[in-house]
Order: sequence, then structure tokens, then C-alpha cells
Amino acid sequence: MNAAGRALGLYRGQTQADARARVPDLITAPADPAAEVAALTQLALWSERFSPAVAMETGPPGLEGLALDMTGAAHLFGGEAALIQTLEARLAKAGIPARAALADTLGAAWALARFGQGQRLAPEGGARLALADLPTEALRLAPEAVVLLRRFGLNAIGDLYALPRAGLARRFAAGKLAAGGLGLRVVERLDQALGFRSEPLVPVRAPPAYRAFQVFAEPVGDMAGLAHCLDGLVQALVDQLARDGRGARRLVLTGFRVDGGTTQIEAGLSAPLAQSAHFLRLLKNKGLEHLDLGFGIDALMLAAPVAEAIVLVQVGLEDKAAIADQGALAGLIDRLQARLGEGAVRMAKASGRWLPEHSQDWGPPVLGRAPEAFASEDRPRPILLFHPPEPVEAMAELPDAAPVRFIWRRVARRVVRAEGPERLGPEWWRQTADNHRPAPRTRDYYRIEDEAGHRYWLFREGLYEREDMGRLPNWWLHGVFA
Amino acid sequence: MSETHALSALKCPLPASEPVLEEVAACHPQDLGAALGFALMRVGGDGQPDPRPCVLVAPKVWLRERGRPFAPGWSQKGGTLILVETMDEHQALWALEEALKSGAVSGAIGALAAPDFVATRRLDFAARAGRARAVVLRVGQTGGLSTARRRWQIAALASGAHALDARAPGPERLRASLIRRRDGAPGFWELEWDNERRAWLGSGARAKDHGQTHSLPVAARLANHGLATGKPRPAAA
Repeated sequence: MNAAGRALGLYRGQTQADARARVPDLITAPADPAAEVAALTQLALWSERFSPAVAMETGPPGLEGLALDMTGAAHLFGGEAALIQTLEARLAKAGIPARAALADTLGAAWALARFGQGQRLAPEGGARLALADLPTEALRLAPEAVVLLRRFGLNAIGDLYALPRAGLARRFAAGKLAAGGLGLRVVERLDQALGFRSEPLVPVRAPPAYRAFQVFAEPVGDMAGLAHCLDGLVQALVDQLARDGRGARRLVLTGFRVDGGTTQIEAGLSAPLAQSAHFLRLLKNKGLEHLDLGFGIDALMLAAPVAEAIVLVQVGLEDKAAIADQGALAGLIDRLQARLGEGAVRMAKASGRWLPEHSQDWGPPVLGRAPEAFASEDRPRPILLFHPPEPVEAMAELPDAAPVRFIWRRVARRVVRAEGPERLGPEWWRQTADNHRPAPRTRDYYRIEDEAGHRYWLFREGLYEREDMGRLPNWWLHGVFA
Repeated sequence: MSETHALSALKCPLPASEPVLEEVAACHPQDLGAALGFALMRVGGDGQPDPRPCVLVAPKVWLRERGRPFAPGWSQKGGTLILVETMDEHQALWALEEALKSGAVSGAIGALAAPDFVATRRLDFAARAGRARAVVLRVGQTGGLSTARRRWQIAALASGAHALDARAPGPERLRASLIRRRDGAPGFWELEWDNERRAWLGSGARAKDHGQTHSLPVAARLANHGLATGKPRPAAA
């Protein structure tokens, strides 16, 4: 509901028919909770320019908000009062109506932001006084509890201060009167607002351990200006990391746009590292042009959300060249992944399964690991594997024999020599009782050479007469040998 | 890797692989397995083992069409492999160059259809800068300008005799024809995979081990008469 609606006397919770009766040309739109959450998340990320810990409150409708942990950070923005002004001014500029308040506790700030008439700032230890005149709704209570308090004549929060806590707790015990088991946690909420009970803040994303921040006097809208100040930002982050002897495993570059949005690029590192040249190259490889600057950004943050200790290797005892190679390899993998995507660079390791297509596990490269031996290393295995296997038409002299001719990719090939079968049973312990999918069948693998000397790995899926189950065994080509 | 050692006994070793760009082409698409096996030898450590891994750069389409590297088979023929999958050939060229000049890999194989002259020149420079052996792996047509120091054509040959079973394919054999080279006369070699030494050896090397005196490889004489190229076989009917 916008200001114009409120001016006409409409209120939240009114039925649409009533509202239309009062204002016939009312424009309404169905609620879209998902979009609202997305927009609020966007705003929460933007708010990270004020504090690394930003929590989001998505409900109840009309009371959404963001909670920023400003402990020890207000002086960076010219003090607490100036911070509130800056925040509101910036949001207003971006066209977002918002009310900001600051207090010792989350509960008190929540109450002041929504119900505080003139006062938006509770000084240290002043929450009790500031809340005294606010209505009891400001305690984040369930509607039932508010109604009940009204019936007792308790309209302001200050009225609760004088009451004996035991009686209050007994009468408003959790779950006793609430219809939906919501609980009327009056005492709990009061304690949270006054700071007698702790209330954790759950941030939208974990505050990064290391971050470097750059605020611009004027919004920056071009890449050249951005690239220019990136050097200093990277150096600041590297200094922080180097001080603690840690290296970043992930870099996030966030730009805070003037219109209340954020834009970011991320890059992963395959080994913990704190080198400014490498960071710069990585971010530039990733493409600064992917940052959507919009109408300009007025702050830039480079964070290392994942950092690990750098293990220093004793150079004297190990091969110096090998260590340098390791470093170079880690750098290479980072650059390739930054440009080609996370899954583009892979290394195989044995997965311990025997079906060929599952026997290798292509995962992210692990550095400094000796190549693993594959189980079937003594048996000949193809150098290239087709996955999924390619169907072939094969003719065999006997049902259980190697084929004498087969057609693959529309070319007929005559088999000169063959070895086999090597029988691989299905992995019955992985099967689930599913009647719609046909049960996997036994495979007989043959190593086959045609008259031109090409070597193939063919297999027959299914055993004649024993595993037919209404379908004849099929032939597949699974790989080619060197 | 001791293939050069074994062949030098026959007075005609394969040209030693150096950190330069070479081109390995499969005569037919079906020869790709053999060509890849040969390329692996060219990028692997030469004489002394190289602890650095080797890289295969291939576009997605190539991997779908020609098959993906199969680690159990690959580890029999070569060392540690890092697979780099790219969206297209342009990215593959970039990734190959990046890998070569990083100095972190012993060699890199790029599955490329038709790199142009400038691209091959860049790859050659990168290979020398990073002390890495570079191989461009191609299939079929191998025309076009290239700065590759050596251009090989690989064809699979009927395999050697199986030790126990006459009807089974034995050790893999291939014919490696050096059709262009900068530093000498072209020629061809017939190589056989030795599973114990984990190397491609001249077919004659094994014969000699068995006490016979074949004069293999056969290529050097023919090469002088300009008959060096691998004779194309008719496609299997």
C-alpha cells in the first residue's frame, strides 16, 4: 500500500471489496512473496556496505525489515545519528521508503523503527526509557497477546515494567492461550527488547573474515575508474591476509550501486594464496565487465569469505622446482576456471566401482597428490570411452561368442581378432525396486580388432535366454584402444 | 619412459621430444585412439620422468563425438592428466596457450580441428616459454600452414602376436609417419606398445629381444626416396 492509499483512508487487513467500495478506481496487484523476498535480499546485500552482518526479516507482511549489526562501526559514518540520516537519505534517493532506527538491542531498534514517532535513536542504556511510551505491538507479539494486553488495560510497553514478572509469565505462558501454539511470549520479547535476554542475528550470508572496502566520493560508472582503484583494494586485502598468514580460497568483488542494488563477481582459488598480482589477474580474467554498474556504484568491497592458513613448505628438504611447479599449477587452474567456469578443469580419481563409466570420478583437481592406481590397471582398457555407449549392430556366430561383423556409425567392420568375454555383472546392491525401469543386465566385454587394425571395446548387454526378459541382448561400443 | 633409449640401440631413434609444438594427426577418425596414445608419448617426460602433470584441452563437441579420456586406460599409457573442457575451439586455443606458458605442465595436448598459422605460432612460443611439450591433435585432413616443428600422421596397424592366444589382439601397433620436419628427413616408424616398459618401442626392438635380427624400423631408406608418407588405406567396407 502506498502513501496515496493511506491518505485515502485505506488500511492493511481491509478486504479488497471494502477498499474498492471506498475508492472505485483503486489499482490492486496480487501479492508476490517470492519477488518480495528477492528484492529484500538484494537490499540486504546492498546494506553490507554499512555492516558485514545483515539479517533479513521477511515477515509478517508489512513489517519486513533489515537488521544491521553496527557494533563499533557507527563512527565510520559520522556517528549514530548521522548514520541513520545517511541510511535513510540513500534509500530515499534510490526510491525506497524506509525508516531506520538504532538501539542497544534488536528488539528495541525494531520497535523504534516501526513505532517510534520522533525518536529513532536510543542512546546506550536508554532503551527502557525510549520504549516506555510505545504501544505493546512494538514488542513483536502475536496479535492474540496484544488483544489480551489491551483487555487488561496495558497499552504501552511502559505499563509492563511495573508488573510482577512471575504473574506476567504465568498468564502469558507460551502456548497456553495461543490458538496455533504460537505462544504469547510477552516476557521473553520484553527481555529481548531490554537486553536481558540475548537474541542472535542470523546474517543473510556469513560475514567475510577478510574484506577491503573503498568508498567513492562520486558514483563510478565506468570500468576504467573501477580498474584503477582495484589495485589498492586488492593490496589492502592481501595485507590483511598476509598479517594472519592466511590465503584466500574465494574472492568476491561486490559493487554497491546508487540505486540500492549490488553487483558482484566471484572467483575461486585452488590453493590458499595471498598475492596481489594473482588476485588482480584472476578478477580481470573473470571479467570486470560482468559487473553491472547501472547508474554507477559508490562503494566497492573485495572480500575473502573463505580463507585458509597458508602452509609454508620447507624448501631445503624438498625439491625446489617441484614446489615452484605446484604454485604455477595452482595459478593455472585458477585462471582456467575463472574464464571457463568452475567445472571445466578436472582430474580423475578411482571411484572404486567396476562398471567402466562409473569407475572414474572426474572432480576438481587436487594438487600435490600422487596419481592413483586404477584397479584394472593390469587388464587392457581403452584410452577413450564413449558415455553413453554407442549402439552397434553386431553379428556373432554363436550367441555367447564375440561378433564377426559389426556396424558402428554406419560403417561395417569385419572382426579379425577378438578377446573375451570379460564379464561385468550389474551392481545389484545399487538397484532399487522400480518396476518402470528395466533392470540392468550383465555385460560381456570383448576386445576387438578389425581388419584395418583398429581396436574397439564392445560389449553385449544381457545373456541369451537367461536375461532376455522380453528383450534381446544389445551390442554397444564403449571405447577405442590406442 | 625409455623408448628413446631402446630405439637408439637400433641406430634410428624417434626424434626426441622437445618443448616445441608438434602436430599429431590421425589418418582416419578410427585411428584417433592410436594417435592419442602416440601423442601421450610425445608430451610425457622424455628419458627422465617429469613430475608435472599433462593437460588435455578439448572442446565439448570433440569429447562428445570422439569419446572422453578413460582414466584406467589413460593411466596405462601416460601419467597424471588434467582435463580441460571448453565451450569452443577459440577457448580451447586460449586454454592451451595458457597451460603451456604457465610452466606448470610437462606437456599439453589440444584437440583442435584447424588452428591457423598465427595460432600455431603462438602455441610454439608458449611451449618454449613454459618448457612444455605441445601437441595439436587433429583428425583426417592435415593441410594448412602450421609452425609445428614436426607433423606426424598416425595409423593403427594390426596388433602384434598375443603371448597366449593367437586369436586375441596382442600389443597395440601403430605406424607413425613424420611427414614434415624442420631438422631432418621425413620417415616413418612402426611402433609397438610394450606393456612392461610402459612405452612405445620400435617393433624391431622386441624382435631383437627374442634373438632375431630384423632391421626395423624400415623408414630411413624409404624416406630418402620420398616415400615417407603413411600409405592411406581404403576405408573398411
